[in-house]
This record gives sequence, structure tokens and C-alpha cells, in this order.
Amino acid sequence: MLNILVVDDSLIIRKNIKKYITNLGHAIAGEAKNGSMAIEQCKELNPDLITMDITMPDMDGIEAVKKIREFNTEVNIIMVTSHGQEEMVVSSLKAGAQGYLLKPINEEKLSQSISNIYEDYAEEFGDELLDDELLDD
Amino acid sequence: MNEDNTASFEHEILSPLIQRSISFLKEDLDINVVSEKIDIISPKKIKLKKNTAMLGTGGSIQVLITMGYDDKLLDKVVKSFLEGEEVEEDELEEIQESVSCEVVNTIAGNALKNPLDGTTLGITPPILISEAKSLFKQKSSQIAAATIETEFGDMLLAVVGPKELFSQTLNFKEL
Repeated sequence: MLNILVVDDSLIIRKNIKKYITNLGHAIAGEAKNGSMAIEQCKELNPDLITMDITMPDMDGIEAVKKIREFNTEVNIIMVTSHGQEEMVVSSLKAGAQGYLLKPINEEKLSQSISNIYEDYAEEFGDELLDDELLDD
Repeated sequence: MNEDNTASFEHEILSPLIQRSISFLKEDLDINVVSEKIDIISPKKIKLKKNTAMLGTGGSIQVLITMGYDDKLLDKVVKSFLEGEEVEEDELEEIQESVSCEVVNTIAGNALKNPLDGTTLGITPPILISEAKSLFKQKSSQIAAATIETEFGDMLLAVVGPKELFSQTLNFKEL
């Protein structure tokens, strides 16, 4: 089971992502409405995974990821955005995100994004670690 | 882009928005569109719907995009977003506002590319216009609008910006 921090300025998107997370058997670590709040929440809650919107007021998601990476290199981050263009994906990955989720989102898309990251993790560190430590729900 | 190297609101901005709106309504929200042949108008004045969300594009192409709904259509869109979940009455208004903004954000983000180079067109976080307002065309501005008719009422899309989309970019180059 993963502890997941949900970051999005949209109430309906936070609401739906939290529902999908619960349905998928993971836990909600917390939620944030903008990049600044996300940084604070990340420091305080130390989540395993963050779903991070890109277009937000005050501080956008890409900037928030860069700042999070200054103090936390462990947390996995999935960017959530309506932009499908390649350069936005590249910017997100360069900033330090592991995955990318295109709006409109649904439970299946989120599940697939999480699986992609943790399959990559398993390939790197071995299936045993994935089974024992990351998906032990 | 047109032969004279100018981008038009109709072809570069509004048409992709219309097409993505139709597919979003049909495929993601299960809302039938009455006709997929949509007329684009260039009015001097446009009265926005009561439920309207607006966002701006950033970078070299700066326009405003508004998306408004009839009440019954917004109710249906909200219902689709909630996926059967019930919400308290006091939370409903905030959810409606959030959904209005989210739809224009998703559609604009999915549909728009910079007509100059095909790259991503940045968008601002959406805001809500809570009361019916009118937009008036100024000398150097242009409005292009279209109504998508659905089984639950109309969606009104409008794009407002400089007369020629490239004018700002050309100004930047001259500097």
C-alpha cells in the first residue's frame, strides 16, 4: 500500500483522485491546492507518491517538483495535466517526475500510471522488494 | 495557418476547441450532441452564460477562452464528474464551480497548440465568471464564438483576443 499526496487546485479532481486511490487499495497521505502547499505537505507527511497537477495558481507543478527534489529524492511523482504535447512531458521528467497522466483522468489511467512506476522500480531493484515493501496491501 | 501567414481565431483556436468539446461531451461525459456541424460567428458583442469559466493562453499567443453552460447541461456535466457519488447541498456549488473550470482546462489543454510552431500553448488556471456578463469587441480585438447544442442544453464557446493572432509575436520580433 502506498501513501499518496494529491496536489491539484481543482476540488473535483482532488475528490476523484482520492476516490480512485482508495478504490485501488492505497492510502491518502494528504492533499494540497497549489505547489507551495505541496512542498510543505511533502516535508510534513513524507508520502511514497505524489500526484501533481501542472497548471496551478501561486506555484505550478513543475516548479513544485523542482523544489521538492531539493530535499526529497525518494518520493515518486506523477504529473497530472491536460497538456499532451511532448515538450511538457519532457519538462516534467527533467524536473524530476517519474510519470505523466493526461486529463481527463479515471481510475484505470491512474492505476496504470502507478503500475508503470512501480514496475520500473521492480525491474531496477527486483520483484521481491516490490512485493514485500511497496505493494503489501 | 493561412496563406498570408496569419493565424485565424476560427481555424487555429476555436475549431480545435469545438472538436475537442464535442468528443469530450460524447465520449467522456456521455452527453449527446445534437449536431456536429457547428457555425462559428464573429459578433461585436456576446452575452456569456451565467455558468461560465474562463482561462487565458500564455506565451506568444495570448487570447481569452470562455466556456459557458446552460443550467441543465452543467448539472449533467457535474453528475458525470461525480460518477454517481452524492454530495451535500452546501458542497454542490463549489463542486459546480470546480467542474466548470476543470472542463475548460481539460479541453483547452488537450486541444490547443501554438499555431506558430506546434508546441504547447500554455494556459492559465481557469477562473469562474459567476454572473452573466457581456463581452464587447474593441477596435483591435476580435471575438469568435460557437454554440454546441446538446440534449441537455447549450455550451457556448468564445475566444477573445487581438485581431490577428500573430500581431503580438511580430511586435516581439520587432523589439
